[in-house]
Amino acid sequence: MKSIYKIVTLAGVAVLTTSCFNKERPNYQFMPNMYESVAYETYSEVPTTVFANGKEGQLPAEGSVPRGFQPEEYADTPEGLAEARLHLKSPLTADEKDLEKGKALYAIYCSVCHGASGDGKGNLVKREKFLGVPNYHDRELTEGGIYHVITYGLNSMGAHKNQLTQHERWLVTDYVLKLKSE
Amino acid sequence: MSSHYEAPIRKPLVIGKKSYHDITVDVARPVEGRANKLWWRVFAIALLAFLWGVGCMAYTVGTGIGTWGLNKTVGWAWDITNFVWWVGIGHAGTLISAVLLLFRQKWRMAINRSAEAMTIFSVVQAGLFPIIHMGRPWLAYWVLPIPNQFGSLWVNFNSPLLWDVFAISTYLSVSLVFWWTGLLPDFAMLRDRAITPFTKRVYSILSFGWSGRAKDWQRFEEVHLVLAGLATPLVLSVHTIVSFDFATSVIPGWHTTILPPYFVAGAIFSGFAMVNTLLIIMRKVSNLEDYITVQHIELMNIIVMITGSVVGVAYITELWVAWYSGVEYEQYAFLNRASGPYWWSYWLMMTCNVISPQVMWVKKIRTNILASFIISIVVNVGMWFERFVIIVTSLHRDYLPSSWTMFQPTFVDAGIYIGTIGFFFVLFLLYSRSFPVIAQAEVKTILKSSGEYYKKERDSKEGHQSLNH
Repeated sequence: MKSIYKIVTLAGVAVLTTSCFNKERPNYQFMPNMYESVAYETYSEVPTTVFANGKEGQLPAEGSVPRGFQPEEYADTPEGLAEARLHLKSPLTADEKDLEKGKALYAIYCSVCHGASGDGKGNLVKREKFLGVPNYHDRELTEGGIYHVITYGLNSMGAHKNQLTQHERWLVTDYVLKLKSE
Repeated sequence: MSSHYEAPIRKPLVIGKKSYHDITVDVARPVEGRANKLWWRVFAIALLAFLWGVGCMAYTVGTGIGTWGLNKTVGWAWDITNFVWWVGIGHAGTLISAVLLLFRQKWRMAINRSAEAMTIFSVVQAGLFPIIHMGRPWLAYWVLPIPNQFGSLWVNFNSPLLWDVFAISTYLSVSLVFWWTGLLPDFAMLRDRAITPFTKRVYSILSFGWSGRAKDWQRFEEVHLVLAGLATPLVLSVHTIVSFDFATSVIPGWHTTILPPYFVAGAIFSGFAMVNTLLIIMRKVSNLEDYITVQHIELMNIIVMITGSVVGVAYITELWVAWYSGVEYEQYAFLNRASGPYWWSYWLMMTCNVISPQVMWVKKIRTNILASFIISIVVNVGMWFERFVIIVTSLHRDYLPSSWTMFQPTFVDAGIYIGTIGFFFVLFLLYSRSFPVIAQAEVKTILKSSGEYYKKERDSKEGHQSLNH
């Protein structure tokens, strides 16, 4: 009988000590010496006394160019698009072209609307979330034009320059041209 | 009585005509009486020192190790010095109770209880330093190999600092058990003499229902012998492990194979000196001069002399090996000790540890209580400086001259040391008023063989008999 009391007491203590954890909140911490970063971490909030908008990610100075990056040659305007269609050529050499990589990137960023084969029948279109995605075969496409559209977007399509680097955009461009040719 | 033979050369260990009851009364008197004003004064001083030390420890832990005088070159100084010093002091207690038991030294019986108490209290002091010298003492439990949620991250068993953890914790627990089993018959005696219900209750709990049956005594003896057999290698290995903190390093002045036995010898040396200091006072204030006799003090002085000589030989060996090694770093380390900026601590250590125990060769000095008392304190000062010299002088100047620096303790370093001395005396003073400070059960076993009265009786009887023959 005595041992039953002991077991019950132990179990009770165990329940009591573990029941303080609330799933809605972060758990209790023991001596969180280096849990919180002293430096500002990416995407973290900073005091508004430091940056007015309270964000760690501040915009770079206008017109600055980081190393390893070329600003886009053609402007984000209909004229720019027209120019790019005519004159912008892929800088990728034959060695750099990688249809596998382009296909993978296309599958991630493009096929949900444009469809895996570029026929404009992506998942979202099939489910009628929205309509009006054209088939690549119905359009006049040049590599400069595709690159420009990926970079800045066109009509309903948003810009993808935040998702894809310049190199990746050229890879995708290459793959789109391949899809169109099929 | 006539069947008993003891060499007449042996001096009595219990002075006067004592009966078993007299021993009981003498041992129980300090416990059953009330503390006098002197006790309260000394206790108050010790308590204040202890509280001051607690404040310094809290300040260190709360503010950081930077409150100490350590720097980037000298990362260990007073903390480890005090740690090794206290551990060393503790070693005499086990030596007296275990090694002397194995060697059947009857004179240990009057002093073993207090020596063991001293062990336990000083190991407690020592145990504070490994914790508080940590930068993050609240994570001290990480030194234990406990299964955990860091993928069961374990400790590295290659560090002597981890061995220290095992050594000190084992040493403390074994000493405590050894001490306590020895206390059972004595607590039972106090229990049976208790007048107030409160003391009756307290000593009933402490004595674990000891009833002193033959079977109990038989097992008691066996347990004591086994524990003594265990404690003896323990006492040697614990201070060896402590010495490994230094000996296993690559620092010139630390990396020597002589350190383990030399540290153990130093531990016995300083420990016996401390026992002498404490018992010379205790025999006086607790009226135990008939039990802790001048012969006891003399024998402890002889051990101090022997171990002091061992330490002296070790110093000379180190110097010889440093010269013989041809290693310029090693040679410089010892040159620096003798003539560097800490020359005074080295020569103080040399004077206290090598010269002072040698005066014990003179019987007049080693049987003089005042001289013994002074030398016992001198020895402990010297042994503190021995640890200080080994640690600081080896660290502050080693391989790279660009890292040479000095060490300056702060008041916090000193405050914690004073605090541990205070804590030690708080414990020891409380002990001396609530515990039987002499193992009366053991002393009663030698009363009739080594008591002054009985020896005289026997001598006269034997003399009479031999005349008849």
